[in-house]
Amino acid sequence: MINAETVRAQAAGVSTPPVLELHDVKKSFGGTRALNGVSLSIQPGEVHGLIGENGAGKSTLIKVLCGIVRPDEGAINLAGRPYMPTTPREAKVNGLQVVHQEFNLLPYLSVAENIFIEHLPRNALGIVKRQEMHAGARAALDAIGLSDIDVHWPVERLGIAHRQLVEVARALMTESRILILDEPTATLTARETERLFAIINDLRSRGVSIIFVSHHLDEVFRICDRVTVLRNGETVFSRSIAATSQDELVRAMVGRKLQQQMASEIVSLARPEEALSLVNFRHLQSPHAHGISLRLHRGEILGIAGLVGSGRTELLRAIAAAELPLSGELRLEGAPISFRSPREAINAGIGFVTEDRKEEGLILNMPIAANVTLASLADVSRAGILDAKAEIAVTQRLGAELKLKYGGPGKNAATLSGGNQQKVVLAKWLARNPKVLLLDEPTRGVDVGAKAEIYALIRQFAERGLALLIVSSELPELMTLSDRILVMSQHRVVGELSRPEFSEERILQYAYQGEQQQGRH
Amino acid sequence: MQALEKTQVTETDDTRRLAGWSPKVLLRDAGIGLALLLLIVFFSVSTEHFLTPNNISNILTQITINLILAVGMTFVILIGGIDLSVGSMLAFCAVVGGTVLTIPDLSVFQAVALATLAAIGTGVVCGFLNGWISAFWGLPSFIVTLGMLNIARGAALQVTDARTIYSFPPSFNAFGSQMIFGVPVVFLIALVLVAIAWFVLSKTVFGRLLYGIGNNEEAVRLAGHSLMFYKVAAFTIAGALVGIAAMVYMARLNIASPIIGIGFELNAIAAVIIGGTSLNGGRGTVIGTLLGACITGVLANGLILFGLSDFMRQMITGVVIILAVIIDKYRERLTGV
Repeated sequence: MINAETVRAQAAGVSTPPVLELHDVKKSFGGTRALNGVSLSIQPGEVHGLIGENGAGKSTLIKVLCGIVRPDEGAINLAGRPYMPTTPREAKVNGLQVVHQEFNLLPYLSVAENIFIEHLPRNALGIVKRQEMHAGARAALDAIGLSDIDVHWPVERLGIAHRQLVEVARALMTESRILILDEPTATLTARETERLFAIINDLRSRGVSIIFVSHHLDEVFRICDRVTVLRNGETVFSRSIAATSQDELVRAMVGRKLQQQMASEIVSLARPEEALSLVNFRHLQSPHAHGISLRLHRGEILGIAGLVGSGRTELLRAIAAAELPLSGELRLEGAPISFRSPREAINAGIGFVTEDRKEEGLILNMPIAANVTLASLADVSRAGILDAKAEIAVTQRLGAELKLKYGGPGKNAATLSGGNQQKVVLAKWLARNPKVLLLDEPTRGVDVGAKAEIYALIRQFAERGLALLIVSSELPELMTLSDRILVMSQHRVVGELSRPEFSEERILQYAYQGEQQQGRH
Repeated sequence: MQALEKTQVTETDDTRRLAGWSPKVLLRDAGIGLALLLLIVFFSVSTEHFLTPNNISNILTQITINLILAVGMTFVILIGGIDLSVGSMLAFCAVVGGTVLTIPDLSVFQAVALATLAAIGTGVVCGFLNGWISAFWGLPSFIVTLGMLNIARGAALQVTDARTIYSFPPSFNAFGSQMIFGVPVVFLIALVLVAIAWFVLSKTVFGRLLYGIGNNEEAVRLAGHSLMFYKVAAFTIAGALVGIAAMVYMARLNIASPIIGIGFELNAIAAVIIGGTSLNGGRGTVIGTLLGACITGVLANGLILFGLSDFMRQMITGVVIILAVIIDKYRERLTGV
């Protein structure tokens, strides 16, 4: 009843008190500011879009709201009362449900068990009432139009899109005031997206507020009433969807002032000789027959932009043979070559700085020197016996060159800050003197000062004739470093920009356009 | 001048750290050594016969087999694996070696040389299979070596028809009970193996990469090293050491039976764990394993002299294994990982 009234009140133009209000919420992890003043207000019964670039703070904000992360500062009000959940359970009790981007289903349990996992119907002995559970699950799935799924099936039998919808069904099991959907359409096809939108419309008419996080601007315009843009952990603006445009949103996500940075003219150091080229190069997940073709010259810094999931990391991993490519040609200095293992790629002169430093780049509990020499052990050993003095000498030489701040070559890599850990990874590859260096998110988890140092180092490498291929989600970073930028979307190159053409708007436009053209069939 | 001296000092410090002797590791090994010392003092004071030359050489003889197996086990556990098959493999290696040893018409030297080759060869083949099967199909070594535990035991029974092999050359058995200054020669062999393993693990590229794999397999792979090679090698080394242990067993006890070695794998794992090696891999030293094997040996011997039953002894050994890991957890928390 109250819900119906509020809807009517809204229609009459009377301002109703917001169901959820955030005021200047801040959160830091170590030295990184994830949220730097987020303010947001959600009306009852509205669908509120939340958009921003990768790393703008959307995920952290959701974690704050569902009690996984505690903010450092700021106030949150839920239905007029202070709200600061410390556990996900507390958030649920308060009527706040989240459908997470990554899946939280238990693959070997049945659909029904997954839907009821939080409150299984039990008898006095604590034994699950299976019939009641199955009937309930059936009703829940029917309600969202999933009549074709058998509730007895284990979740692993379902496709990825159906799993996402089962997650939605689970979230709808409890009456919630606010439902947060984190990138809900990322895995859905057009038909299922329609189904989801129908569910959203139904919830809205019942007075439930929905926070809709998405990369797809067209969807935001279709389903949302209002939209809030985050950038660098701050709210840029909140606006009624009727009062804004796609262009305005893209500009807001990017920020105007960044363009001035670009003014500084950097001369390209690219030389005529070709270092690496790809022709119709495909990795295992690539859905496109033509794959990727590109050309990289000695001394050139080629940036690769694109949304998360556009296939950038997979491309680098396939070049380095971390995962073997499916087909296509790779030429190194003009000669066709194929690698069957990372070892062969490395021996041919390819270095690969991975996205995940801690899991793939470093051995944190081993000495810095051991990490620096990990890819060039033959140079610091004789007949298989290590020469510790040579290892220390290499580490000291490269450490000085890269301005590494460290306690000593014998100290463990874990003792270093993020920026210095990344320098150790760079040193590991420099010790091999590679021809091509692939860098995946080279400054992730690195503080601002060290970032600038790493940028300078990358330019130095190019000066020496090293060819660099850089993947980054930070557009200003790519625009500062690159001589050219390729934009990827859905595992294809959808645009190429030379330095004078660089602008965040253009890059994002390519990225989103590619998405729309390719996305849904 | 002073500054120069200072860099000199830190450089040797770095060299030592690179060889795996960080202060933390030294502290850990020293702690285990201290525990061993306390045990020895306790039994020396509380029992009459513990600290006698005879009993000491007795203990050393008793721990020899376990020590050799534990050295091999250290390689496997360092890469994050486990080898449950060493007890059965010991029986298989022994019956193969024993069969060769009793071939008539061979000189003692020929018989012993061929038997040693056969025993080690058998261990190498079994160990290789353990490593290759688990690395090639990406199976947990727990499962693969559990299979090998049964295969090797069955093979040992099959080739001997469940009979015990005996009557080895007398000089071979004399060697098994030989002493040098009251120290059993077989124990000295085990010590030499410990020294070789220490050198390999701390001074060679091979050892460095075993630690690397135990800590972060993917980083080692992406740095251009073949995980397959190192994994197979670790299990093969463990197999070769089982072959050596089998020869020592025959020299000491004068028999080769298909039912020996039952449960030996667990004693070897216990020695490695008490010696401070992490079951997750990547952390531990073979010196720790030596100390761990000594602790289990001293406990077994001392508790019997103390007048406890074999059953009580077994219970106390179990408690010590759990205690060792708990203490290690606290040490880790206090000194930081």
